Amino acid sequence: MAEAVSPSYPTREEVDFVIVGSGAAGGVMTKELSTAGHSVVVLEQGPHLKAEDFHHDEWAIDHNLQHMWGRTQGYPQTFRKSENDVAEERETVCGYAHNVGGSSMHYSGNFWRLRPIDFREASVRGTIAGTNFADWPISYNDLEPYYTKVDWEIGVSGLQGPWDPPRTREYPCPPMPIKGSDVLLERAAKSLGLNPYPAPVAILSQPHNGRPGCIHCGFCNGFGCEVNAKSSSLVTMIPVALASGNCELRTGCTVHRVNTNDEGRVTEVVYWDGDGNEQAQRAKAVVLCANGSETPRLLLMSETSRFADGLANSSGMVGKNLMFNGYTSVAGLFDEPVNAYKSVPATRVVHDFYELDPALGFYGGGGIDGRHPSRGTPLGYALMSGSLFGGASWGKEYKDKLAHDFAHVAAFDGHTTSLPVSSNNISLDPEVQDKFGRPAIRTTYMDHPDDLATMRWFLDKTTELMEAAGASNIVGDYPENGQEGNVHLLGTCRMGNDSDSSVVDASHRAHDVPNLFMCDGSSMVTSGRGQPTMTIMAMAFRAADLINQAAQRNEI
Amino acid sequence: MAATHLSRRDFLVNTASLAKGSLLVLSAPAILTACREASESARNEAAFTAFRDEEAVELTAIAARIIPSDDTPGATEAGVIYFLDNIFGEPQREPQLVMLRDGLRELGLQVATETGAAHFHELTEAQQDELLAQNENTPFFATMRYLTIAGTFSLPEYGGNQNKIGYQIIGFEDRGAWAAPYGYYDADYMEKGE
Repeated sequence: MAEAVSPSYPTREEVDFVIVGSGAAGGVMTKELSTAGHSVVVLEQGPHLKAEDFHHDEWAIDHNLQHMWGRTQGYPQTFRKSENDVAEERETVCGYAHNVGGSSMHYSGNFWRLRPIDFREASVRGTIAGTNFADWPISYNDLEPYYTKVDWEIGVSGLQGPWDPPRTREYPCPPMPIKGSDVLLERAAKSLGLNPYPAPVAILSQPHNGRPGCIHCGFCNGFGCEVNAKSSSLVTMIPVALASGNCELRTGCTVHRVNTNDEGRVTEVVYWDGDGNEQAQRAKAVVLCANGSETPRLLLMSETSRFADGLANSSGMVGKNLMFNGYTSVAGLFDEPVNAYKSVPATRVVHDFYELDPALGFYGGGGIDGRHPSRGTPLGYALMSGSLFGGASWGKEYKDKLAHDFAHVAAFDGHTTSLPVSSNNISLDPEVQDKFGRPAIRTTYMDHPDDLATMRWFLDKTTELMEAAGASNIVGDYPENGQEGNVHLLGTCRMGNDSDSSVVDASHRAHDVPNLFMCDGSSMVTSGRGQPTMTIMAMAFRAADLINQAAQRNEI
Repeated sequence: MAATHLSRRDFLVNTASLAKGSLLVLSAPAILTACREASESARNEAAFTAFRDEEAVELTAIAARIIPSDDTPGATEAGVIYFLDNIFGEPQREPQLVMLRDGLRELGLQVATETGAAHFHELTEAQQDELLAQNENTPFFATMRYLTIAGTFSLPEYGGNQNKIGYQIIGFEDRGAWAAPYGYYDADYMEKGE
């Protein structure tokens, strides 16, 4: 890629756009707006890491939160199950990577598109009392061109499956080679009359757009890719944005306020730079892509007398309807080496249960894939080995079992729906602050009874699959008492046509503030089936397209 | 039911809870540099940073019961003691080192009371196992278990897992790159088809 001189925009002069966050959505937004000729400043909290910075270092990454950051680094969060409780301080609750590329740097890259039903499920399935279950203001057809854009511009490997929604163009890369864990899943699923097929992943199975194919090192989930085969916004979007000559990427910048003027328009974004000095970048428009916990926190922190309950919050929906997605996991032991720790996390999916039968008496649905129970990490598995199948947690028996099981274990995981509920939300903690003095992100969350019932159903189904696969020991788990954290942060600035019940309109523009846009997991109206990033990126391509069109019409 | 079960999206929460009950819940990133330096010193057989020699002998003996050496190497050969010394050698770990020493002292008292011996490392393996089993639910033991495992399976640059012994114990091939087939079942699939 041609090197361009990065501009250095004066903070006191208006740029066309300030984008907060450079992750899955922010990276796409940055690339699309800057290459359209707009001046763009993107503010990112974390550093700009590169392939050479990524290593298989479990101790630093999983145990010292090198990328995620938590209380240890000065960013505590708080959690409570109910709004009647006082939230308890935690190391972290809402998890995301703090670096250029955001969590797309360390994700697994499972890129399931939503299906047409996801966008109109409330109409088809009926509303659900006590929830904010609603249709999206857009349809699958509105998003399809942008899903295809993600496939080709980001780089997705896969093969159209029997349940997949229609697509206008094939995948750019063929599916990943099947892993042993997924051979076991596929054969078991077929024996039960199901229809397993190759998992779509944002990891290159062969060279694409100047990047190399995957070397199958096995350290995808939670780790950065050392060969740039993982299709993050870090390696796909940000370099293109920087090459445009219109984009200034400012790292180490901690945003704490979006200022507005008397007319109710945003004027500037206030942040501390890498040296801790407060700065304010003026802009004609602001796009928040900070994720489903940071975006609502920033809006709530940007209150004024005019926006007393937080910026863009006349609906009261900022921070509300937090959806984590549910998950289940069943592990089993096999006679021969599975070696599920090698290669990408999952290579097959079972999508026969995308919508569970309403006759079951609860709403829900999801997908199933094959995995290694510790994401293939040696230290992670050694720590869980004592408790996973029972038995000793130290000593000779522990060592012998660990030595055998690590290569012989496989897991079948369920990824499921969450319902939008007002009482599941992000708010400002009244007591706990981060090291900059920002109120800590306070999460209030209890999985809806239907979400728990759905997880239970998937636990039973994956157990049945594990039995059919011939595993000798089978144990399963799901968060039956409710989740207390997650890395899927959805629904907290939901999209909708009605300004009384949603935060942004169908073009991601804030109902209340004409030159403010929000696009990230917070925009999602429903949760999908547990793999949201493909949709977050597609929404960002679409939102950027609409913003570019509006800018051309001088309507921002 | 698995008590702690890392799956894709709960790894964050479980990572924090895995070490629950340990004195050392999470470490600080500063250890990276410190550990690389300490790894050098381990190779040079330099003195310990955090521990007195007699403490190192006792901690080594405890780690050796958590991951014993038998027909394959264990915590001792992995150099877990050097990993421990790195972790507790960090300046900000001073309070935790005090707690570790308290735990070690408490164990020493139990050794004296129950066996009459002067040191844990002088006991028979059976005596050692029995004593540790009595202490299984203490923060001291939880810390030693967590860090013995971490020292056996983390990257060698932290001082443990020397010669990648930990990886060899569990059959983790540390090649960093593979081509299919990866294991028995996908090889079978390639040969026989679906």
